Amino acid sequence: MEKSEVRGQNILFTAVISISIAFLTGFIILAISMVLLKGLPNIISSILSREIQFAVKLSFATSIISTLLCIAIAVPVSYGMSRLEFFGKRFVSTVLDIPIALPPIVSGVALLLLFGTTEFGHALAARGIQFIFTPLGIILAQFFVNVPYMIKVLGSTMNDIDPRMEFVARTLGCSRLQAFFKITLPLARSGLMAGIVITWARALGEFGAALMLAGATRLKTETLPVSLFLNMSCGDLKLALAAASILIIISVLSLFLFEIMGGKQYELSRSSLY
Amino acid sequence: MLRIDNLYKKLGSFELTNINLNIEKDEYFIILGPTGTGKTVLLELIAGMYQPDKGSVWFGDTKISDLYPEQRNIGFVYQDYALFPHLTVKENIFFGIKCRGIDVNEGHRRFKEIVDFLNIEYLLDRFPSTLSGGEQQRTAIARALVTSPRILLLDEPLSALDPRTKQIFQEELRRIHDNLKTTTLHITHDFSEAMALGSQVGVLHNGEIMQVGKPMEVFRHPNSHFVANFVGAENIIEGNARGKTIEVCNNINIETIMEKTGPSTLTIRPEDIIISREKLFSSAQNNIPGKIINMIHQGPLYRVTVDAGVALTALVTMQAVEEMGLEKGDPVWVAFKSAAVHVL
Repeated sequence: MEKSEVRGQNILFTAVISISIAFLTGFIILAISMVLLKGLPNIISSILSREIQFAVKLSFATSIISTLLCIAIAVPVSYGMSRLEFFGKRFVSTVLDIPIALPPIVSGVALLLLFGTTEFGHALAARGIQFIFTPLGIILAQFFVNVPYMIKVLGSTMNDIDPRMEFVARTLGCSRLQAFFKITLPLARSGLMAGIVITWARALGEFGAALMLAGATRLKTETLPVSLFLNMSCGDLKLALAAASILIIISVLSLFLFEIMGGKQYELSRSSLY
Repeated sequence: MLRIDNLYKKLGSFELTNINLNIEKDEYFIILGPTGTGKTVLLELIAGMYQPDKGSVWFGDTKISDLYPEQRNIGFVYQDYALFPHLTVKENIFFGIKCRGIDVNEGHRRFKEIVDFLNIEYLLDRFPSTLSGGEQQRTAIARALVTSPRILLLDEPLSALDPRTKQIFQEELRRIHDNLKTTTLHITHDFSEAMALGSQVGVLHNGEIMQVGKPMEVFRHPNSHFVANFVGAENIIEGNARGKTIEVCNNINIETIMEKTGPSTLTIRPEDIIISREKLFSSAQNNIPGKIINMIHQGPLYRVTVDAGVALTALVTMQAVEEMGLEKGDPVWVAFKSAAVHVL
């Protein structure tokens, strides 16, 4: 091959890569700025409206509660999946991943059928635990859709923690439980934080599954995404774009937090003090 | 004191078969074996990370193989030390005191004692990731010893250190054992560590203990071909040390990097010795004239033994032998660095 030809190919190669990166970055910024340009000017007045205030409060309350539930379940599950060997582990692992693969709206239908049509659902409802068309349903939908993400993030963190650390702690007199709380959990801190941020941000934006289970009732099950949907449907662009802008701001901040927390090992972040 | 009866464990691709050992109180027992023979697994079985498939481990009359690791009171120091990265040196050492619920005053007394003894006062507020290998090791030993374990298990404690630090810590381990008298089980693949530290040594091969005895006994009377080969630390020489010089026989002095006084034993690995026709002017501090008394062809190498007042064996490549035209009976010079001399 001629020297100039080689050079031409190399330039072309670099050009294709550079253009792809520039195109995608520009495309994302452009799309998001369209919402922000239209939404931000009205954001203050919208936040003062009763509807957006309700949506913000409900979104925060449901997402925080569902994230706490995710932590409560994902910590023992991810620890067990990382440390224990048992028959059918691969099958269990696949089952735990299913909600990630399902469209959220399908997860919503599944939950609706489980809690709306079965004896189990009716028994719960009779005791006052009503998921259908209530904020409780939003929490359950967010939990169901997001808990696998938390398990994934935490699981990879747990896998990175040397099991010998816990063993050494036990030779020093700790029980398994103490070793878990004193050694493994603190070492998993960065993964846990990253898991919390990503789960919470996803819960805040959860729409499909929550819509199926809890419905979209104004000022009852109206989270920020539902508010965006309802106001778009009835043509109130001002409120819709305000809700969208709030979601964008929260998402970008969360992504930023996630990068900071996920990218740094706990050990490094602490030892850098010295 | 610690007794291992017919221990059997299969783990992945290798297995420990029929391990029987008896370790007396205050002993410094060394398990010697090539890499990948399951030495670490043996320690982990004693400490309780794994359950044996067959057999048992006893402390006196207590069958500890039925107990949880936290009930066994065993100190464990891993090869890479396994310090808790999120805790300072002080917190690492205090960890066992808190877990064992040792009384506050007693805990502080023990903490101070071990910190003073190991000279690690200056490290207390630092995190493990900022420590050198030697500092990490002292921290790990302090963490294990502060709970006064019945036995201290050391997994290749010197292999991660550079040669000079290794010599220093070998002395340190001896000092710790001489002073605290903690029964110690130390595993290594290096026979010179066994010679330097062990009161007893057991040779492990293919998951089985091949021979147990005093290190010199095992060295002089290996009971199998494998043991003979494995402990074949040639060039073991007795002498009298004065500072960094050891007189090994009339007018023959060997320079070392360790200061010592009195009768000493030293070893030099055959591959560290260079043979030449003329005296070498190099960085090697030891240059001794002698006469070739034996040459054995061994694969691509020759094992050349030189009488230089003491018999010294060197490994020489075939090419070098041909180039120098070495023959039995030829006068030659042997050269080796002072850092290559391992003082036991």
